[in-house]
Amino acid sequence: MKDIIISGRMKMADIISHDKRALVLLPRFGIEMGVGDKSVKDICNQKEIDTDFFLLMVNVFLNANYFPDRKLKSVDVDMLLLYLENSHKYYLEEKIPYLESLIEEFKKTVDHPATEQLDKFFKQYIIEVKDHLAYEDHTAFPYVAALSEQIKKNNPDISAVDYHIGVFEERHDNIEEKLSDLKSLLIKYFPPSNDRYIRIRILNELMDFEEDLINHARIEDKVLIPIVEHLEQKVN
Amino acid sequence: MSKSIIVAEQSEIIRKGLVYLVEALGLFRTIREVACASALDENIERFQPDVLILNPSMVSGNTLEVLKEKQNGEIKIAAIVYALFDDELMGLFDDVIMVSDTRQKIQKKINALLDKTPAKKNQKPEETLSVRELDVLKLLVKGMSNKEISDKLFISIHTVISHRKNITQKLNIKSVAGLTVYAILNEIISMDEVQ
Ligand SMILES: [Fe+2]
Repeated sequence: MKDIIISGRMKMADIISHDKRALVLLPRFGIEMGVGDKSVKDICNQKEIDTDFFLLMVNVFLNANYFPDRKLKSVDVDMLLLYLENSHKYYLEEKIPYLESLIEEFKKTVDHPATEQLDKFFKQYIIEVKDHLAYEDHTAFPYVAALSEQIKKNNPDISAVDYHIGVFEERHDNIEEKLSDLKSLLIKYFPPSNDRYIRIRILNELMDFEEDLINHARIEDKVLIPIVEHLEQKVN
Repeated sequence: MSKSIIVAEQSEIIRKGLVYLVEALGLFRTIREVACASALDENIERFQPDVLILNPSMVSGNTLEVLKEKQNGEIKIAAIVYALFDDELMGLFDDVIMVSDTRQKIQKKINALLDKTPAKKNQKPEETLSVRELDVLKLLVKGMSNKEISDKLFISIHTVISHRKNITQKLNIKSVAGLTVYAILNEIISMDEVQ
């Protein structure tokens, strides 16, 4: 399924069972499991999701080489922001707490002075991730929302929004990078110990989170930023 | 697919066109665009690309030489050309892409450049740190800055940075916090030495 362009006629169930990365996309659109044999289009219609938007997001998320340029103009900005906020929610409510509990268990299971430092490293990292997400949720996204709000009016008052997406672009660093450090430490450098399956579980989760973050960042870079640049041109 | 490329070109049409062809190759993990000369240095510093496609009008021969030296020849640079430039400048490039080149020709050239890049990022690097690298690592995880390390070890900041690069490449750990865990695991420093 990799590198196939998903279309609206495909069955939602097929997409998910062939590429598990699609799994996490569903809650971001408010779609629950139990999709039966319905096609993507059917489910989108039922949930009042713009099918083209859904397809754009799925394809950008699953395929690093998908080039969405022509489809960007029709994207509803509020829908995009909702999608991104839901992704952040998933990280904050599901991914991070789960990783935290795994690291906690690792600390209890593995008796080595370096676990304390690993824990410190991890906690510091979580603070950085939360800062990163909070900046987007509280500064960048509200700006985009305000900008699109103004543009819908007849006389856009752009002075109401004091920001520039270029600032976001510049600040947008790779938060997944440190996950790779954690990975190296656990795969290569923590000595073998009787840690049963906990290390496997952590590594599974780290790689999963890492990939999700990379795909997420690609949506921000390839979809959000170009759209906002386009909006900014309209008012300038 | 760990290779990265920067496409530096002022004209949006040409830049986007090149990026499109590069993406279609599917050989690069990161593709970065640079639209103005002033952002070039910073982007190269930050993304350490393996390949750079560059409009010669964005650099002088001097800056290009400095850049190549800084990267130890690890970066391969092609010129994207649709105007005339002096031979001396053009001689510094590894290859030349003409705007009139066909898609196949351009992709072939990029492929060839990629083949010429050193295998450092893919090949298994030597894992053990040198004595000097260990010295740098020790000070680094104690919380010292590059400047402080260079003063302490009587080496230039440039050398400190290159040691740090090697450490990161050998261990596959980028952050100081991650290196600290490594240093404790390997008893390079003790817990109470960590700031
Ligand atoms: Fe984000």
